Amino acid sequence: MKKFAAFTLTLALCACALAGCASDSSSAAASGSAPAASGSAGVQSETPAGAGELNLYAFDGMFPQEVLDGFEAETGIHVNYSVFDTDETMLARLQTAEGGDYDVVIADDYIIKMAIDEGLVAELDKSQIPNIGNVNPVYQGQFFDPEDKYTVPHGAGIMTIVYDPALVENEITGYADLWDESLADSLAIIGNYRVVDGMALKVMGESYNTTDTAVIAEAGERLLELAPNIRAIQDANTQDLLISGEVSAAVMYTSQAYLAQLNRDDLAVVYPSEGVGFGLMAQFVPVNAPNPEAAHAFINYLLEPEVGQQCFEYMGYYCTNQAAEELFSEDIRALLTLPEDFFETNTVEMIETISAEADEAHMQAWTAFRSACGA
Amino acid sequence: MNKPVTRAKPRRSKLWLTVLPMYAFTLVFVLGPLVYMFVLSFLERAEGWGVTNAFTFANYQNILNPIYLDTFIESFKLAITSTLLIILIGYPFGYFMAKLSPKWKKRVMLMLMIPFWTSSLIRLYGWIIIFRANGTLDKVLMAVGLTERPLKLLYTYPAVVVGMVYALLQFMVLAVYSSAEKMDWSLVEAARDLGASPLQAFLTVTLKMTLPGLLSGVILTFIPSMGLFFIADLLGGNKIVLVGSLIQDQLMKAHNWPFAAALSVVLMLLTSLMISVYKRVTHSTELEGLL
Repeated sequence: MKKFAAFTLTLALCACALAGCASDSSSAAASGSAPAASGSAGVQSETPAGAGELNLYAFDGMFPQEVLDGFEAETGIHVNYSVFDTDETMLARLQTAEGGDYDVVIADDYIIKMAIDEGLVAELDKSQIPNIGNVNPVYQGQFFDPEDKYTVPHGAGIMTIVYDPALVENEITGYADLWDESLADSLAIIGNYRVVDGMALKVMGESYNTTDTAVIAEAGERLLELAPNIRAIQDANTQDLLISGEVSAAVMYTSQAYLAQLNRDDLAVVYPSEGVGFGLMAQFVPVNAPNPEAAHAFINYLLEPEVGQQCFEYMGYYCTNQAAEELFSEDIRALLTLPEDFFETNTVEMIETISAEADEAHMQAWTAFRSACGA
Repeated sequence: MNKPVTRAKPRRSKLWLTVLPMYAFTLVFVLGPLVYMFVLSFLERAEGWGVTNAFTFANYQNILNPIYLDTFIESFKLAITSTLLIILIGYPFGYFMAKLSPKWKKRVMLMLMIPFWTSSLIRLYGWIIIFRANGTLDKVLMAVGLTERPLKLLYTYPAVVVGMVYALLQFMVLAVYSSAEKMDWSLVEAARDLGASPLQAFLTVTLKMTLPGLLSGVILTFIPSMGLFFIADLLGGNKIVLVGSLIQDQLMKAHNWPFAAALSVVLMLLTSLMISVYKRVTHSTELEGLL
């Protein structure tokens, strides 16, 4: 009898453990806690969609709590904010859920292209988004959604060089200056292989998206000459290295450059003269979203000027909401909006998905470069 | 209770039911992913996202590319360096710990265990605070007058080695301690009585008796150190490419799942091979759980 009791108890424990790991994904992340997306797929779609729930899936740190609370106060719809740490996690998760589970997803341009190609993204019903006119048109019509059928932009970023003029001998105006010997062991870069390989491609006057493997290999050779200058390759909080004086110059994302400048106004910010790497985040509604009405209402809500202001000041990306721009203080506007003639005076290019063969060449160049940095 | 013999039989025959959940769990969550990964390693990556159902050996051939092969060599180098240092520090530590009074044994054991109560990631951030420019170590060195300006300590190879040694030292200490603890010290006394010098007695008796502990310590530190790439990433500034780090890059950044799977399969084969060599050499049964 005891054995039987032990057996049933064990079974019960197993069942509890399984249920526990499956059900954490919807609610736990409201506080912005770590990857809540690791649970199993089916559970959320089994729960009734309910008019009162919206499942939001985005990077951590994109929404101040007031914005989410404000939506609930306005519409009575509660927002479950789940976070992912990489775009790839998001797409894998969305694929497992067959385009369900989530109502609004915010992710990067290239991965949205893949999601659309995989048939995971629903067309937007613009009639439910009256605020759509608030979107700054310079950010519309991009490669992943040329007709703006599927997405609404939510934040733009560019690859920025930020440096401490007190620690750098020569003025930096472009990527080529980073190769200078005076910067030995004092440069930090983000860990995005296409961006870093792209620095060499830009110095060579090539496109980010070239599929010529010989050109990519040559860029890899050039990168090896940059290796002695690299102090650290780091994706998260790259700005901290610059703020603390660990490095004297860094290539970083817009949100990091924003934080760097908020902390230290003596830092210099450079849009590389060889050409600017540009990226866009956008919102979309998955094809089997449980609550598409709430999703459209949420997208519309984010396009309200005051809400946009709160979001962009919080996350530090370039503001894609034209109506929100006027609400920023002058200092903040300088950090969160691009100069009006920016797209005329700079060569801007987005990083797109390229052929598997070209991607493999990039990866080889990147791995060799990383090893050379440590050697 | 009257007929214990007849009652024992049906009990035993149903005993397997109690372990069934464990086997089911192992099959589904351990063997399942392994088989999936093994199959994946023979497929081709699709353009963009996912894989295609074409059989190929290309992923394994790709590992032979010198750029990728180097990451295996780099991993071995770091694992060997860390393990040697861990032996140098951990062996005497465990040895002398076994010689302490029971009261002090408990205290030292507690001090060894306390760091485990904190996440290893958080403890690594502690090292970052110590090593970074104008960090704790810099301030101490400058206050003492040994250095004048901040040193570049973080994001260097030695910083990574310190992190590895710190993360794995306990395993060596405990392994050596447990075998030194069990040792019959009268054998050492006998050796000394028979005219051996302290060093001779140590080499011929103590070392031999504690060798199993030392070797399991080596396995317990060497194998994990092949996989602890996050230490190299955090303290080495991502500049030392270990196999684990390469797998992560291929999986998460390049979306090349089949190649990542092939790398994982080879890494697992290599570590399994090392454990089986170890078992051959030492005839040890202490590590049954490992293989």
